[in-house]
Amino acid sequence: MSTSAPPAVRPVFTGLGVLSAFGSGLAPLAAATVHGRSGVTEVTRFDVSRRGTRRAALLPDPPPLARAVLGVIADACRQAGLPAGPGDTPLLLALHSDLRTREVTEAVAKGVAALGLPGVTRVYTGACVAAATAVADAAALVASGRHPRVLVAAGHLVEPGVFAAFDAGRALARDGELRPFSAGRTGTVLGDAAAAVVIEADTAAGQRGARSLARLAGWGRSGDAHHVCRPRPDGEGVARAARSALARAGVAPAEVGYVNANGTGSPTSDLAETRALREVFGDALDELPVSSSKSVHGHALEASALLELIVTIAALGSERLPVNAGWLGPDPEIGLNLVLEGPHEGRPRYALSLNSAFGGANTALLVAAA
Amino acid sequence: MSRLRTLATATWPHPQGPRELPPLPGFSASTFNPLVAAVAELCLTRHRDTNPAGDHPSPPGTTDRTGLLLASAGGDRATALAIESAAAADRRMPPLLFFQSNPNAVLGHIAARWGLTGPVVAISPREAAAPGQIPADALELAALLLADGDADQVLVIAAEQAEQAEQAGDTDHATAVLVTSA
Repeated sequence: MSTSAPPAVRPVFTGLGVLSAFGSGLAPLAAATVHGRSGVTEVTRFDVSRRGTRRAALLPDPPPLARAVLGVIADACRQAGLPAGPGDTPLLLALHSDLRTREVTEAVAKGVAALGLPGVTRVYTGACVAAATAVADAAALVASGRHPRVLVAAGHLVEPGVFAAFDAGRALARDGELRPFSAGRTGTVLGDAAAAVVIEADTAAGQRGARSLARLAGWGRSGDAHHVCRPRPDGEGVARAARSALARAGVAPAEVGYVNANGTGSPTSDLAETRALREVFGDALDELPVSSSKSVHGHALEASALLELIVTIAALGSERLPVNAGWLGPDPEIGLNLVLEGPHEGRPRYALSLNSAFGGANTALLVAAA
Repeated sequence: MSRLRTLATATWPHPQGPRELPPLPGFSASTFNPLVAAVAELCLTRHRDTNPAGDHPSPPGTTDRTGLLLASAGGDRATALAIESAAAADRRMPPLLFFQSNPNAVLGHIAARWGLTGPVVAISPREAAAPGQIPADALELAALLLADGDADQVLVIAAEQAEQAEQAGDTDHATAVLVTSA
């Protein structure tokens, strides 16, 4: 567990930008997650005739990745009301590591110059926790007083190579539906996303009259020390990240009113995460609403954690919790209080967003309602 | 930013050692993962052997809060190329490429072998580090992770693969440094 005390400077979110399978902006994404309407469809973007799984949550006509990322960055800056040329604001960017990473980074760096930003400060490539790690680091930079605000952005568009690799690794759901924590779950479903947030010191936001959309109360990062890609079965690493986030915020587990779980639909990963939640929340887990919004918007890999963080912030703002779609029935080893129908009214003070990745990497982001 | 104290360093290839990378079971098609694993093993072993009673990562089977931070400007080009080539040619995709399609996988191998339970982070610096060097931003991030409280030590690894796979044995290089707060 982290020994950190709650930070004196409190990071808040003042701007969001998102592009998902449901199109541009938060409204269509939030409507889909609240009603549990899956964006998964047949893949026609590239040939999947030889793949075992042929479905993903895709934008019909996506822009190039750099343009998608630039669009959500501009949206986040606009909502935050940042002045043109917001000084030396760092930009932390999460992308997949492949042969185009540098090209996309350079295009984003060139594009943000038009917003007055100095460029891309750092690129995170750490798989499904890449964006959450960037958020945690941004929060650390803000909370420690090093920067009044930090931009975090991420992008992932489903493309043939990663799709084929995940298919070959039997990570994709054989029935083409992402069914987190459900009986009969067989794997994950990939999804498109670009997302951006402005994380700002509450004092800096207050001074310029910017509205706080939510507060990043705590964050935690941990490693399983278990395997190259399989999660530690008892979920101890996930639990440690969650406890770190709670301790940093000075928040008791009983104060958490919603968990946006990692919930990839993997038989083993969902079970390990369930055990982690039981370890952290104890008997209170029986009443704690849990869902994985991946069931609606798909798994956006390096962008997934930022997409899910934005869904979580939206849930706190709208007081309606995302639905855990794709449910077939209870898995006797799971036993979570899943949000199975929507709209599901809820007024959590705190919500926890969890993510895990290959290498046993785990992150937890604790969000407080504005 | 808080200052760092260096506990151990290693480079690959190291001047007195073999140039051939030890095979890494479970990984294929690329020298990148064996390269990262080899330099990490060298650095952690060196620290363990020189600090038998000190603050070092634990031997396999026990745990400590050492984080892992991999910085590579080029990333695992050979794996990325193998994935893209197989997909483009509509060939069968080797299943092992699934988990090595991201840089976290080899970090998971190192973490499991040495019982390292700190954060697992991968970044892509704009410029590749020269042999024997760690990118400044990677050290900056290691200091941030230490100051932020989720790790007691961080093993920072800079690894760059040769541009041309057939020349990999000549030009792959990696540097590892185990750091803690000063």
